[in-house]
Amino acid sequence: MSLLAPLMLLGLLGLGLPLLAHLRGREEPKRVRFAGLRFLGASDEVVTQRRRVRDGLLLLLRLALLLLLVLALTRPVSTGDARVAVLGEPHDAVLLLDASFSMNLARDGVSLRSASEDTAAAILEALPPGSRVGLVTTDPGGPRRELGADPERVRAAIAEWVAAAPRAGAWTLESGLPRAVALLRQAGEGQPGAAGRRVVYAIGDFTGRGLASLPPTAAADIPVLPVAASGRLDDPPPVPEHMSLESASWVPAREIDPRAVRISGAVRRHGGAGERGLAVLLRVDGEVAARVEVVAPADGLAAFEFTHIGAGVGPTPASVELAELADDPLPGDEARHLWLTGEDNVEVAIVNGDPSEMRAHDEVYFLATALAASASARRLRIHSLAPDQLAARLRDGDRLADVDVLVLANLRAPAEDIAPALRERVAAGMGLWISVGDRVEAGAYNERLGELLPLLLREPLVVGTAPGRSEAHSEGVAPPDLTHPIFLGLQGELGLLGTRTRRVFLLEPDPSRGAEVALSFTSGAPALISRPFGRGRVALLTTSIDRDWSDLPLRPGFVPLAERVLSWLDTGHPGAAAGQIVAGEPRRIAADGPVTVHTPDGRELVLPPEARR
Amino acid sequence: MSEDPAQALAAVVPPELRELLRGRQLVLTRPVGGPHAGRHASTRAGLGDQFRGHIPYTPGDDPRRIDWRAVARRDRLVLRQTDSEDALATVLLIDASGGMAYGTGPGNKQRHAAAIAGAIAHLALRQGDRVGFACGRDGALELAQLRPHGGAPRLAALAQALLREPTGTCPWPALIAAAAPALPRRSLVLLFSDLLDPDPADPDSDARLLHDLAALRSRGHDVVLVQVLHRDELQFPWSGRDLWRFEDPRGAREPREGHAPSLRAAYLERLGAHLSRLEHGCADAGLHLHRCVSDQPLTAALLGLLARLAGRPQPAEARP
Repeated sequence: MSLLAPLMLLGLLGLGLPLLAHLRGREEPKRVRFAGLRFLGASDEVVTQRRRVRDGLLLLLRLALLLLLVLALTRPVSTGDARVAVLGEPHDAVLLLDASFSMNLARDGVSLRSASEDTAAAILEALPPGSRVGLVTTDPGGPRRELGADPERVRAAIAEWVAAAPRAGAWTLESGLPRAVALLRQAGEGQPGAAGRRVVYAIGDFTGRGLASLPPTAAADIPVLPVAASGRLDDPPPVPEHMSLESASWVPAREIDPRAVRISGAVRRHGGAGERGLAVLLRVDGEVAARVEVVAPADGLAAFEFTHIGAGVGPTPASVELAELADDPLPGDEARHLWLTGEDNVEVAIVNGDPSEMRAHDEVYFLATALAASASARRLRIHSLAPDQLAARLRDGDRLADVDVLVLANLRAPAEDIAPALRERVAAGMGLWISVGDRVEAGAYNERLGELLPLLLREPLVVGTAPGRSEAHSEGVAPPDLTHPIFLGLQGELGLLGTRTRRVFLLEPDPSRGAEVALSFTSGAPALISRPFGRGRVALLTTSIDRDWSDLPLRPGFVPLAERVLSWLDTGHPGAAAGQIVAGEPRRIAADGPVTVHTPDGRELVLPPEARR
Repeated sequence: MSEDPAQALAAVVPPELRELLRGRQLVLTRPVGGPHAGRHASTRAGLGDQFRGHIPYTPGDDPRRIDWRAVARRDRLVLRQTDSEDALATVLLIDASGGMAYGTGPGNKQRHAAAIAGAIAHLALRQGDRVGFACGRDGALELAQLRPHGGAPRLAALAQALLREPTGTCPWPALIAAAAPALPRRSLVLLFSDLLDPDPADPDSDARLLHDLAALRSRGHDVVLVQVLHRDELQFPWSGRDLWRFEDPRGAREPREGHAPSLRAAYLERLGAHLSRLEHGCADAGLHLHRCVSDQPLTAALLGLLARLAGRPQPAEARP
């Protein structure tokens, strides 16, 4: 016997009130103004105050009623099993089973999942006759039974579910509560007369996604009764020692080798005492590629890191595993699987500000042609976008996550409302190459992207019209600055000598911006200027990349120039790429409606908005 | 309060009673006496319809009054003499003590008494009689209107006095002592009271009251005690386990507390003895005692009172 609302016992203090009233209460006489008072003799009995308990029977009745009321408010529950508390009166119950991964933890050889079957059976047995019971699990694909008077249905469903292989993707117990409440409400609607007490029995473990996630009530009138799958609620048993691979992820390590990846992660040791050493294996393509020993403290983390060179072309399956853990009480969390790709594709999106039907007049024809001929053509993926396509993508909430380098070629200026998204994306790691032309509006650029421009744009200038240089009609390109990262390791001539540029864009000098000139004209004016912005990089070409202002694209040096600029702009940051997601890592997806997730085994999970993670 | 007598009357006399008054008269069995002409037979000879007798003619008498037929029979000159018709002086002594405030709605004692008093005064004034009244209220006397007088303003003044809330005690000895010298000859004195406790300070107040009234009677006044009681006072209806606290509405006696069943028998016994003493005392002193209960119809109470004054047997419904 236990009480759902033991605090209500304070109501017993109220028992003193009738007692006091009967003991001390002075009977207030009813007053009459009576003309015949003279004939009411003084010798008649005059009672002014009670000195002893009067109306003993009434007092007992009042005390008993108050006692019953208080006891009813405390919601006593009967306990058929020492661990299981069940409401003592017939009621509607829903068993909510925790299907989370941690329920596979074995204690004394019996998993919590199996233990919850016994616990559920104990509850079903203890339910008073006349109760109805239903079943829900936090496994979205798990069994679900409507409320019914026959507990055997539920028992059989639980047995079947426990016998089946555990599946990933369970909700927290708290997230499962709405389904349990819906089941109770649904049953209540069907039988309006039977709408009495309703209780959710939540069976789970003590983890944060289990009983610890539970609120005290599922709804205003539906209490949640937490039931430990194993052990007692008030005395949680210690967690048996087990190891899990907390995280494992990889990033390209280009500074070592174009095909190098760095794989890092952490091992968590739950419970235990003292330090414990164990081996972590890196398995690539089924073969053990590396092994590292880590020492994990009790209830702590141990970090590890591998560097692997030579991941093949295309994605290579790999896994990180904890070795020699055959007897771990919680199997299944000792390995993480990864797909390694040493060569990361560079996604280049070119926004064509001056498209033309004639290919030779098209703004990006020369750039696309040059890149296709370059040595890195295999890993470059070039897409062309119209300005409105770019704006539409950004407005739709697409953060250009799959674009590594964005080229704005002779774009008038990005629309005002998409500029913040562009800045944010560049700060997060995207490369941005801006080339100018007739259509560029300096003021709009400065206003919208001024924050990330290497230098603010001033105005286009026809070469030779500048004061003191009236005799020249074109500008050449000076040899590149070999200290600039774009031209790092350049051997010999770039091949831009003899370039004739007729128009250039003037820039606002501003030393505080930290811009670096990679290439300049023979006059000293910057031709290619760069600047890091956040985790991304920005390059600005002060002339056009087609033949409108310059013959630069016709020069042999244009191909290596474009290739180097793009390579430099591609920061290779994992977040900048489409994003590598490791199973178990949270991934936030922006969407308005429910999201349908297709699992590898062909199932479809529809996630309600609050459960989307 | 309006000075209009009709409105003044309407305030104290309910409509059914006013309807009853239409065409009725205040008639006394015995002759009245007074300086003003009226409708009541007088003790003295004068102008009237009622034959009184013959007296010998003496020179100087009005020859028109000679009864020639009697002269023929008696062979000497005789004059025909008739009873005079005089106005009746009616004086109302009203108990406005707190004890009269008992009862709710039409059952209120004061309201009942006021209706009867108002009706009597209306009747009297309508037939040319003269009415005076005095009240004892809150230990004081209100004697301004004591000397009988005719006319509508007197009725308005009476209504005004009757509408005031009764409170405190009524000093009966002082009231009677003050009224006695002001009474014209052969007045009709009507006391309106419950007569339950005339003077809380005097244990012998009942006998003294009767004595004082007997003195008035002996001077030739007709004295009528209109005793207005409430049914609760006659029957003591309280019962059950509740504790009751009985307070004196006059504020003169200590309150009594107790359970009604334990008080009831003694009360009824004492009350019965009191009423019986009162009846016998009135009978002995030649006073009229007219008892009415406030839950009875006013019409019956008034008819009973008029019948008693006229010397007729009381209608059955007028008896309490």
